[in-house]
Amino acid sequence: MLRYTLRSLGGILSVVFLLSLFTFVMARAIPGGPWDVAGNKGTLTEHQINVFKAKYGLDKPVLEQYLVWLRNAVTLDFGSPYMAPEMSVTELILKQLPYSALVGGLAATFAVVVGIILGMIAAARQNTWIDIAINSFAVIIGTVPGFVLGFVLAYYFGAKLHWFPTGGWQNEPKYIVLPVLAFGIPAIGGVARWTRQCIVEAMSSDYVRTAYSKGVRQTGVIVRHVLRNAAIPMITSFLPMFPAMMTGSVFIERTFGIPGLGQYFVQSSMSRDYPLVTGITIFWALLISITYLVTDILYGIIDPRVRLEGKKR
Amino acid sequence: MTVVTLPTPKRVRYAGFWAGAWRRFRRNLLAMYGLVFVTAIVIMAVFADFIVPIGPLEVDFDHGLEPPTALHWMGTDNLGRDMFSRVMYASRPMLMVGILTQVFSMLIGIPLGIIAGYKGGVFNWVISRLIEFFSAIPWYLVVLYLIMLLKPSLENLIIALTITSWVGPCRVVRGLALSVREQDYIEAARALGTPVWRILLNHVLPQATPLLLWSFAVGIPTSVFAEAGLSFLGMGIRPPDPSWGLMLGESGQWWMYRPHMFVFPGLMITLSILAFQGLADGLRTAIDVNVNV
Repeated sequence: MLRYTLRSLGGILSVVFLLSLFTFVMARAIPGGPWDVAGNKGTLTEHQINVFKAKYGLDKPVLEQYLVWLRNAVTLDFGSPYMAPEMSVTELILKQLPYSALVGGLAATFAVVVGIILGMIAAARQNTWIDIAINSFAVIIGTVPGFVLGFVLAYYFGAKLHWFPTGGWQNEPKYIVLPVLAFGIPAIGGVARWTRQCIVEAMSSDYVRTAYSKGVRQTGVIVRHVLRNAAIPMITSFLPMFPAMMTGSVFIERTFGIPGLGQYFVQSSMSRDYPLVTGITIFWALLISITYLVTDILYGIIDPRVRLEGKKR
Repeated sequence: MTVVTLPTPKRVRYAGFWAGAWRRFRRNLLAMYGLVFVTAIVIMAVFADFIVPIGPLEVDFDHGLEPPTALHWMGTDNLGRDMFSRVMYASRPMLMVGILTQVFSMLIGIPLGIIAGYKGGVFNWVISRLIEFFSAIPWYLVVLYLIMLLKPSLENLIIALTITSWVGPCRVVRGLALSVREQDYIEAARALGTPVWRILLNHVLPQATPLLLWSFAVGIPTSVFAEAGLSFLGMGIRPPDPSWGLMLGESGQWWMYRPHMFVFPGLMITLSILAFQGLADGLRTAIDVNVNV
């Protein structure tokens, strides 16, 4: 287990390293830079551009820039964004992340809870009209883009009924309801379908038939055999949803005007804010890889079969 | 001894693979919806010039922000442009991004995958790491990053999406080539001195056709979503050209009072993604693809 963990950790680090090299070199290889994007295009003189380049070390060879960046990055210092030189990239990420994390975390929780309930109902009433209805609902709801749903919800519940504000952000619970719904509802579809499939698969396995034939009561079979076995693939695929959604959806944040991390990523890409773009990319990649690693380890903990297989090798 | 003449058994005609697939496909309601909708939208995109009475870029400031009327079936936008015409024309970039991205992904992914799987060795190792790399990071990160470097446009959108989605067909073909290369008929072909490219083309690739068909279809909804989403953010199709996502973004400050500005583009985005998704789901059951490839 330890050896496996260390090896995966090495894999993650190499992926993140490659990604950083790729983003860093690509950003500087393409002609143009922060000085000629919309807004200040043509307003800066040759001299001003050179001063800017010298200030941020953009006049040096790319490889040298990268090595300097890498040396700082090891100590989690990703430099300062051009748009806000008074703070570091890490500070900016940590300042904007809570908005995204709150909306995404609640949306993921909502989607997982509702999805699991729907999936369990569908599995219990297999091949009846209830099952078919839930399945069709899951397919349709899963294809609606969050930002389209956002408009519909904001129009109906915001502009028409005035129950919730149509957008913006204040520290009040009512501002969060619509973004969470718009983000969470489309995610229900996948959760419900996967839950149904896992439970149906567990119910049709041999040990369930054995349990029934030796006279275990239905509730006992469901709780002890079906749910415990179905939980394994469910946990490993629902857990990564949380960090993935908590880093924020660019589309939802734009629709509702939430000052989250996704908004900053788009903004920094538009203005070619190299340190910020690279910082956010690395942060995202690191978070996602760590999630996969944790899921893998968890898989070994909840499923003894995986652990034993590992020992045999 | 009497000779009993048995009645010659009626020849049973078994349906071929594709006939059976079509029969299974037809039974799937959502798949049939997808087929009909996609056909309709292709016709719409091709013949838009003949269907639409008003050009998508014709500005009419006297009739801006009008709700649907007999003349403007879907109303007009803030510049008085006909929404119906814009919605029709926007099916072009949607289809171009959705389908061309998959075509280019296949053109890149299939050769790389088939050679990696069949040849093995260092090349296989490199391709496997690339596949792992691109599966580990979310597509929108790469696409947003590339769009930033390349400037938003239809061509760059296709390039950026291709770079993230060639992995799909590549993985399918690599897995198949890996399992097929030990088969006897491949060895026989090799023994006959068949050149490698001919083995790959005639013996390995046909095996992958159903899987690739599904892989082609399943990538389209993602690309359509990406086109709509990125255009919505202002990082896809450039104005004044129409795109459903862009129209949604342009409804900006008016959508609260003029719901037609977001309803029609939003509906088209959702219906097309659903159609392509249904098509892919139907294909999967029809050709019985093992999804865990």
